[in-house]
Amino acid sequence: MFSLMYGFWKYMFSKTEFHVLILGIDKAGKTTLLEKLKELYLNLEGLPPDRIVPTVGLNIGRIEVGNAKLVFWDLGGQPGLRSIWEKYYEEAHAVIYVVDANAPTRFEDSKSALEKVLRHHDVQGAPLLILANKQDLSSAVSSEEVARYLDLKKLDERLYMFEAVSGFDGRGIKGSVDWLVDAMERSKRSEMLRSRTPAA
Amino acid sequence: MGILFTRLFSSLFGNKEARILVLGLDNAGKTTILYRLQMGEVVSTIPTIGFNVETVQYKNIKFQVWDLGGQTSIRPYWRCYFPNTQAIIYVVDSSDTDRLAIAKDEFHAILEEEELKGAVVLIFANKQDLPGALDDAAVTEALELHKIKSRQWAIFKTSATKGEGLFEGLDWLSNTLKSGSG
Repeated sequence: MFSLMYGFWKYMFSKTEFHVLILGIDKAGKTTLLEKLKELYLNLEGLPPDRIVPTVGLNIGRIEVGNAKLVFWDLGGQPGLRSIWEKYYEEAHAVIYVVDANAPTRFEDSKSALEKVLRHHDVQGAPLLILANKQDLSSAVSSEEVARYLDLKKLDERLYMFEAVSGFDGRGIKGSVDWLVDAMERSKRSEMLRSRTPAA
Repeated sequence: MGILFTRLFSSLFGNKEARILVLGLDNAGKTTILYRLQMGEVVSTIPTIGFNVETVQYKNIKFQVWDLGGQTSIRPYWRCYFPNTQAIIYVVDSSDTDRLAIAKDEFHAILEEEELKGAVVLIFANKQDLPGALDDAAVTEALELHKIKSRQWAIFKTSATKGEGLFEGLDWLSNTLKSGSG
């Protein structure tokens, strides 16, 4: 009886854990974004941008937003390392895709890498947050323009949002994280993942 | 190089005792790496419990090296060296493709250890100077690094004999430990 009550208590009050993949081609600003997330939500001093080196593996960040626990998986974006992305799809609740809005010459690469992500069976139904990053730079293009460049046809049925942000000064980040948490809480994929993995 | 290293790690742990384990199969190049870092004298000891541990003490950080694989009877004694471990440097001979499967199994086995759960992982895909050495992406695949999902990891191509890649890796390590996400 006690364990039943305890189980119920845990069910009602424990925080749900969501895994969020941070993807994007190299130099998009994924790790800088992750450090900014840590700074904004944990009041930790993140690693200053000039100390951030290209990721050749996995960086992790954990934050809490309301009743949700978010675990960010930030993976390296260099061409040779992108093959590892898909190994993390299956357990991801959502995907943040970061685009350097200040590098139009790389939009094509960014677009094809994203299309490859979206085609993959293991990320079906995962809410997608596309960030037009580096808005602190005056020459950066808007999120609408990034959306137009990417011209994504695969997005129709997916829960997604485009947002202009800066991992450097933090603008736009909190609003888009709020959207993401809400999207994950409502998504069928989260339900599916919950029923499959034993409660930790 | 030694000076660079001093700068990198001198303020990292304050006065706290810290441990970094340098592990891998025999002949991966672990000892050569330690010599390359020129931090101090590598002291080789064979404790009475019967396995060979090399130790480099650098200020308050102990770098300890031993070979994984082989004898199972001494494995329980490895645990004596686990407490306070902040990081594991896993060294792989990237040209020894025949033994990569063993290197993978040993690696994942050690990551299971409760006392090492909090340690971040730096992988050196070593011996890049040898013909037939796999690159970082291929070693990532072979070691199944994607199975690591609850701790930070990074892989670097290194050549211990030429001194390449080592400091890039240690730079990552020091940044990672500093940002407190270990």
